[in-house]
Amino acid sequence: MEDELLEQILASFKGERNELVPILQEVQDNLGYLPEKAMLDIAKFVGVPESHVYSVASFYAQFRLLPLGRKRVAVCRGTACHIRGAPQILSTVVKTIDLKEGETSDDLEYTLETVACIGCCALAPCIRINREVSGDMTPEKAKGLFLVKEGGGEDVE
Amino acid sequence: MEKVVKLQIDGKEVKAPAGMNLIDAAELVGIHIPHLCYHKGLKGVGACRLCLVEIEGMKSPVIGCNTKVREGMVVHTKTDKVQEIRKFVIDLILSIHPLDCMTCTKAGMCNLQQYAYEFELKETSFTRKKMGYPVDETNPFIRREPEYCILCGRCVRLCEEQGTKVLEFMGRGIESMVGTAYNKPLLESGCTFCGSCIDACPVNALPEADRWRKGREWEYEKVKSVCLLCGNGCGIIVSSKDGRIQKINTGEEIGSAKKYICAYGRFGYDYIESETRLKTPLKRTDGELKETTWKDALSIVADKLKKAGRGAGFISVAGIMNEDALTLKKLAKNVVKTKNFDTTISLYADGDSLKNSQTAIISTSDLIVLVGLNPSQWERILPALDASIRKRVNRGAKLIVINSSDIKIEEVAIINLKGNEISNLKGIAKALIGKGLKADRKLESSLKDVAITEEIEKAAKLIIEASEPLIFSSPSLFEASANIALIKGKVIAVGFESNARGIALMGLTTDGKTYKEMLNDGLKVLYAVGEVPLNKRPNTDFLIVQNSHLTELAQQADIVLPSATFFEYAGTIVDYLGRLKHLHRAIEPVGESKSHGDIFIAISKIMGATIKKSTEEEVKKASQVKTKLASKPFVRKEGLDISPNELIESINRSVIHGSRLLWLKEAVGATAA
Repeated sequence: MEDELLEQILASFKGERNELVPILQEVQDNLGYLPEKAMLDIAKFVGVPESHVYSVASFYAQFRLLPLGRKRVAVCRGTACHIRGAPQILSTVVKTIDLKEGETSDDLEYTLETVACIGCCALAPCIRINREVSGDMTPEKAKGLFLVKEGGGEDVE
Repeated sequence: MEKVVKLQIDGKEVKAPAGMNLIDAAELVGIHIPHLCYHKGLKGVGACRLCLVEIEGMKSPVIGCNTKVREGMVVHTKTDKVQEIRKFVIDLILSIHPLDCMTCTKAGMCNLQQYAYEFELKETSFTRKKMGYPVDETNPFIRREPEYCILCGRCVRLCEEQGTKVLEFMGRGIESMVGTAYNKPLLESGCTFCGSCIDACPVNALPEADRWRKGREWEYEKVKSVCLLCGNGCGIIVSSKDGRIQKINTGEEIGSAKKYICAYGRFGYDYIESETRLKTPLKRTDGELKETTWKDALSIVADKLKKAGRGAGFISVAGIMNEDALTLKKLAKNVVKTKNFDTTISLYADGDSLKNSQTAIISTSDLIVLVGLNPSQWERILPALDASIRKRVNRGAKLIVINSSDIKIEEVAIINLKGNEISNLKGIAKALIGKGLKADRKLESSLKDVAITEEIEKAAKLIIEASEPLIFSSPSLFEASANIALIKGKVIAVGFESNARGIALMGLTTDGKTYKEMLNDGLKVLYAVGEVPLNKRPNTDFLIVQNSHLTELAQQADIVLPSATFFEYAGTIVDYLGRLKHLHRAIEPVGESKSHGDIFIAISKIMGATIKKSTEEEVKKASQVKTKLASKPFVRKEGLDISPNELIESINRSVIHGSRLLWLKEAVGATAA
């Protein structure tokens, strides 16, 4: 499936060196991230070493080298959220889902990000999970958003 | 002749060749322009901003690495302005660099340390930042310590130029680092472990994996020598301490990337002290090999050789030095009086192709033609030739590959001629003549029915346009390739052993039985010199093996004589390009081992004859053969088709199995499987 998609994408390019970034963008738009295998094929296609493709991909913030989790958790660190306790919220989330900022869980359930402002400062502090925003967060409430994970993870012993 | 430009640097008159950059020009008169990212032999990129200089008539400072000398230029390299900029640069770099010079391996050699000292910077004036990068210790050759990296990019550019392309800049800004694709270990990134990056690194970011506590640079005794492990015969500098080799670098002075050595040359030296190293002669008594004295062993050998006379045969590898070869020939021919003396060259070359090869310099050639050869850094067949060609191609030279098989280096070739090499060579010769180049009548008439394809036409055009075409040919195709060189260019037959050409010049080519014949003909005495590619005892009444290590063959011998390795005595070789190269003694011979030549001299003394030690004059005289190419039929010499991979692995078995190279062999085998 991925291979076919990649083949289709590459077919619309000529295989020139200067097409590297547009190809990477197109692949990411379709696959959600840049898998290793895709980068290898792209390297061969445009005739540059793999190390160079990875170099370019790692240079630009727009490229993701790892797939995203099904639930993208964004903890707001904007000014309003910050003074109403965003640091404590973030550390609670970090502990609860056992991920650091920017990481994705191995089971691809969660990706943890921080954002500068979600745009609903009146509800500060807030968390966004995919498209759903939850406001007036407290550490307790924040924990509640991830009950499933906690039950399945830490409480087994 | 190169044009010379006159200019002034810091008040000194400088005459520099046109096209030279200011850093190199200043060095001609002993002025050092500080630099970190520039490295001799690599293109300047102007990244570090240390080499800024002021030129009269120009408003702002310019970089020395990328500014070429011009007639009448007046350059100032130490003005207050540029010194201040340099100090600022070093100050910034120090903010991301560990300040542990007291225990750092690179101390005394570190460019950053030197500049910090010069600019009186004990500490950075900025906030220090520690990145906390992990150390890569996943292989026994190269250690990567990104924490020390100052991002000069020398290793990145070098790795790219030589064609390995493993290292690159990853990430961005303060978080950028030099790494591999997907941050994988070097082994999984296509690294060949040549260690070129070690020589290029100005700091401690890329030391040898085992370098820690093996001594600082100033403690070493350094000796220039030559690696004899394959057909390239690369120059090396051997650093030793307390009588043991601690590390090996390329033969170039420090601070230059002009030369290349492979993993064998750089890391193979552990084998000197491996378990199988022979320290005393061995003699077979009651079916078992037991230690004996030189006196005893040599008198038995002398006695056997004397009795065998014409029935004795000598086989040798071509990785022995010229002096050894001359002495061996005298022992065989004049003392033992046998015509049977031959070497492993006869497995892949005839003496004439090596002898008639021309001399050439790769670094000035603008067109390289590879005929029937597969140099490969990855397979370690003539790796230095592969690296040199790729570097030349990066600098604008062109490559034509004529090979019936698919080979890796064709990826950088401008033309690949597939199919039969002979018919392609014929086609090129005909096309060259068709374009008006003069050739021998006989040659011309032999090409009547030859077809010329479009690709052949293109290749011929390139040869005509080139100013220094250089043909590297497999020895079996030498005569056919030489026919092209007779029309235009130079031709060299490349052997697979370091001193193949020297051996041919010294005349150690048989007057009687060939190498292969001696293995089967049931000689009375067979005397094998060096690590000959044999596992099974050949058909002979008495087998003498003279080698530095107890090989499988040696275990089946009647007498084993311990020879010194090429690190342990001095001599010369003639490399594939026809250069006479000197080896110097880096360490004392291990145990009671002796040089091949000394052993031959000792034997002849017992046999009642005196052979003098071969001198350099004798070698020079033998190697001054006037090469004269003559047109020959376009044919491939048969019977010279040993697989180079197998040969090189076989003659280096003790090196590979007695050193960390075994890790590489097994690891590569595991990833291939």
